[in-house]
Amino acid sequence: MKYLVTGSGGFLGRRIARSLLAQGVDDLRLHVRQRPPAGMVEALQAEFPQARIEWVGANLLQRDGLPALVAGVGCVVHAAAGMRGAAADMFANSVVGTRNLLEAAGEAGVKRIVQISSFAVYRTDGLPRNGVHDESVPLESVGVDKGPYGYAKVRQEQLLDACRDRFGFETVVLRPGVIYGEGGGALSPRVGIGALGFFFSLGGGATLPLTYVENCADAVAVAALRAPAGSAYNVVDDDLPSCRRYLREYRRSVRRLRTLPLPYSLLLQASRMLVWYNRRSKGQLPAVFTPYVVRSMYRPLRYANGALKAIGWTPGVSTTAGLERTFRYLRGQS
Amino acid sequence: MLRIGIVGCGKIADGHVEQIRATGRGEVVAVCDREPLMVEQLAERMRVPGRYTDLEAMLAAECLDVVHVATPPDSHLPIARRAMEAGCHVFMEKPFALTAEEAAAILECAQAHARRVSVNYLYNFETPGLELAGLMAAGKLGEVVHLDTHYGYNLSGDYGLAVMGDPGHWVHRLPGKLFHNVLDHVLAKIVPYVGDGFSVRARALRRRPATGNAAVDAMPDELRFIIDDGATTASGMISAHGRPVAHTLKVVGTQDSVELDYAARTLVPSARQAQPSALGRLFPPWVQAARFAGNGWRNLRRFGRHEFHYFQPMRVLLARFYDAVADDSRADPIPHEHILRTCRMIDAIVADIGRTP
Repeated sequence: MKYLVTGSGGFLGRRIARSLLAQGVDDLRLHVRQRPPAGMVEALQAEFPQARIEWVGANLLQRDGLPALVAGVGCVVHAAAGMRGAAADMFANSVVGTRNLLEAAGEAGVKRIVQISSFAVYRTDGLPRNGVHDESVPLESVGVDKGPYGYAKVRQEQLLDACRDRFGFETVVLRPGVIYGEGGGALSPRVGIGALGFFFSLGGGATLPLTYVENCADAVAVAALRAPAGSAYNVVDDDLPSCRRYLREYRRSVRRLRTLPLPYSLLLQASRMLVWYNRRSKGQLPAVFTPYVVRSMYRPLRYANGALKAIGWTPGVSTTAGLERTFRYLRGQS
Repeated sequence: MLRIGIVGCGKIADGHVEQIRATGRGEVVAVCDREPLMVEQLAERMRVPGRYTDLEAMLAAECLDVVHVATPPDSHLPIARRAMEAGCHVFMEKPFALTAEEAAAILECAQAHARRVSVNYLYNFETPGLELAGLMAAGKLGEVVHLDTHYGYNLSGDYGLAVMGDPGHWVHRLPGKLFHNVLDHVLAKIVPYVGDGFSVRARALRRRPATGNAAVDAMPDELRFIIDDGATTASGMISAHGRPVAHTLKVVGTQDSVELDYAARTLVPSARQAQPSALGRLFPPWVQAARFAGNGWRNLRRFGRHEFHYFQPMRVLLARFYDAVADDSRADPIPHEHILRTCRMIDAIVADIGRTP
């Protein structure tokens, strides 16, 4: 069966391509927006000489190139997404692109869709402090209150459900926590944010739901090959650090930061004031944190990965090793 | 309250909705886009009740007073024309139209239907822009001899990445490509001071490395131009590579000169040595420092009054446009001849770029 990985030039997508090949896929089509990163296809072909590897450049916002993209494909692993930009751009790149892809896939007779989603789709504000965040947590019904990225990912999953019913796809959803690794971002907003020359440490002692990018890619590949239709999985590694520990090790290993810790109760109060000021000033400062976002993202929770392990996934890179590799990379960049 | 509809649900539509609401003069009752998902996202995020994928349906159902057009410029003429035929006043996102010919058609349509039309040339309504207009009206600068304007563009920013990453992006369809989408901002500031009988020389180049994609690589990223009406000259630079990303204007007058920074929201007279000898050369930096400090205090007060939003000048412009909509005796916030001259200058620059070997 031919597998298609969308967004395969991206941080996660290129690792998914390799993981699929490593787990036995021998017919792989790589989707990129324009051209694959230099040497990527050649390196994969050299490592997996028996596999048939091809690439197709296509813009998911333009339907005319999509029949050729999905022709002959049995399984689509959809990793392309809008990760930055204005809210409308993020929505277009994540949701409109997904709609176009899924409709083209449905018309081409694609059998299976593996969708890369996000923790942002979960409605976690109702979980108790130190409660378990697993796949049973309810999903957001709209997601607008989670911000542009959360809204786009919620709507993307809803589209997948609608297209499953319409085209009869087998669907599998992966919801990673914070994906980290060489080439990725350094400090998730869950850890904190930089402003005014300081780094405000927001996560405190809360567990940081990390997944090393290669582990995450392996999870996607395992799910693509083995997960039952209709299933969904959270993707987090073992031995997760607290946000505080992550930040401490980052500062020790990568670069110094002038850090100001903001305890959860103060953060919650600050978010209320920010929303108040945003309304009063007619948007002069954006309400980047709302009480709902703070309750959803910054309360201490425990994270489960048992469902993924039950279908055969194990994190191949320990969190200690993953952090060491990532910090070494970031130190070289800084 | 004016009943307002927005056509085009891309990223700039957010700014329109927010600033319409901030004026307190209008209510966004409907949004429209050919892509239903984009209609849904804007209406959902901004809590707008009316959702349409067909302009005719929105015009028929919503009894709109004003239509804001926030679509790519190649659709501006047909949308504006239909809206005005339906009795609506129209506020356009820039570029006003694809060509000066289409701009003239929109302006004529507005005249024929006795409707108001304006365009989001917001920077003339930025604090330094308004101060410049005041200085000119009071004759403080004398006659304008020359204008020099710089406009930076960060191709690594969100919009730049969208344009660079998508050969199908509508910017690549514009005759002047990237520049066509920003020249309004550059030229709208100088058209009040340069007459219609102008000539243009322009040079454009691509400084960044080739990507291998013909559409993306066809887009220049540096532009220099000089405009001359026989009495006044204007030089301009649009740069994707100059740092820091600039947004400035210098106005050289026969009595005095001023320097405007639209990003920092400052306007200061150019340094002048008023005292003789080496001693006199000690003073200008301190005088300039005091002038910038005055601008800083003014900005701080504006922040305190909640008048320091990025789109504050758009808010001012919209309020004046809605004033004109409500009162026939009021002047358009942007004279139509300025809109047309801006579009003619864009056409002339684009044509001269095409002639440049």
